[in-house]
Amino acid sequence: MTTALNERDLILHAAAIKRHAPLSAIAHLAGLSEEQAQGIVAQAVATGRMVEARGAYALTPLAGVALTARYRRHFGYLREDAAFVAAYEGFERINRTLKQIITDWQTLDVGGAKVANDHSNKAHDEAVIDRLGALHEQAEPILGRLSAGLPRLKYYAEKLLAALEASEDGDHEWVSDIRRDSYHTAWFELHEELLRIMGREREE
Amino acid sequence: MGSDKLPIDDVLHAGPPATPLVEAVLDLVREKVRMRLRESGMDWDGFVFAGSDSLVTRADIEAVEAAILASGHRFDWSARASVIERPEAHKPDGTSTDDGAGFAHPDAPTAEADGDGKALRGIGDNVVRHTADIVGRALYVRSNERVMELLTNGVPQGTIAIIDDSGGTLTAPIIDQFAGVVCAGGSVRSHLGILTREYNIPCLMNAKVTGIREGDRISVEVSAPAKTTEDYQQGVERIARVWVLEEAA
Repeated sequence: MTTALNERDLILHAAAIKRHAPLSAIAHLAGLSEEQAQGIVAQAVATGRMVEARGAYALTPLAGVALTARYRRHFGYLREDAAFVAAYEGFERINRTLKQIITDWQTLDVGGAKVANDHSNKAHDEAVIDRLGALHEQAEPILGRLSAGLPRLKYYAEKLLAALEASEDGDHEWVSDIRRDSYHTAWFELHEELLRIMGREREE
Repeated sequence: MGSDKLPIDDVLHAGPPATPLVEAVLDLVREKVRMRLRESGMDWDGFVFAGSDSLVTRADIEAVEAAILASGHRFDWSARASVIERPEAHKPDGTSTDDGAGFAHPDAPTAEADGDGKALRGIGDNVVRHTADIVGRALYVRSNERVMELLTNGVPQGTIAIIDDSGGTLTAPIIDQFAGVVCAGGSVRSHLGILTREYNIPCLMNAKVTGIREGDRISVEVSAPAKTTEDYQQGVERIARVWVLEEAA
């Protein structure tokens, strides 16, 4: 049985995934306009469901507990949808590869020691971005099956593709920069979204 | 398996409960009822009149309270007896004897202060090799409440966060404000490792530490070689150390 998330829960859910983000980012992830989000966020702040700090919003702990308790109601049907669950498990499998690729992107082997990658070795960087492209090819059918179960998840497929293309075009900040919707940011948020949908905990 | 739909799901135009605590309690109770209703295979009327008293168990309701306490919430009290009987569930009454001792890993190596006044308090896996070790004040960040407080008031300069959330779930919003991170879980490939590398914040993962108190001045050996994927696979021991330089006042 499917139930559509109401707008309030969409906003709270998006805020939980974004953790601490400006209104526009929360609204975009929730698939609502900023005008729609504005009233809900203001109400949430006024009633202790969110706090605002440095122009960004975060869920309060109890609001997070209540939201999580409603997930069975919202997502129970997906937890029993074999195709969706299989796609989720596929994501978890390639998640390990993604983490290794990002780690290799961030580090460089210098004389046998791993140091922070200063991105001076173009060959190393290009090789890692090639691996990211190959991983994305594996991810695409999984993203398609996830979106078939829950169309709202197309958001992540679009973010991932845009970040990959920007990275391949030479704008390397799109690989893993945390201050933008880089490949790693979108992937991390999709992982968080899927864990919430499935009612699971992050392993590490 | 029956339906898990509650009649209240169809109530229209009902605003959310007035307070976050009431909303959390109601939603957690509904979650348990929904689960038990579904397992019972009964319809709602049958469940309410024949089964619910025994099917929704004491343990279910205890789990509701546990989930609320796990979020960091502590209940108000009107009689001091409440705090004395269940200090873990209530706001403190000001007589707390919490010594703030923090993590105590049984395998953490320790030593008396050496000639430089550095007392070994544990080890961890270095995420990235930095040119010099870091020194800062230890701050345990283990609850949502503390993250909220730090978000609002800012993280004090020179703070080394001591945490156990290797996914970075809790600390992600404030991670860029730490001078360093010591995480008692995960590996250098964990999401937290990725986040700290991205911000160029020195970090130890999989740390085994003991006897570091909140506010202690500590040093972290991030100039040690970084632990690699191959090290994990081949079981190579490659460690970075954590010392206390000066105990909190």
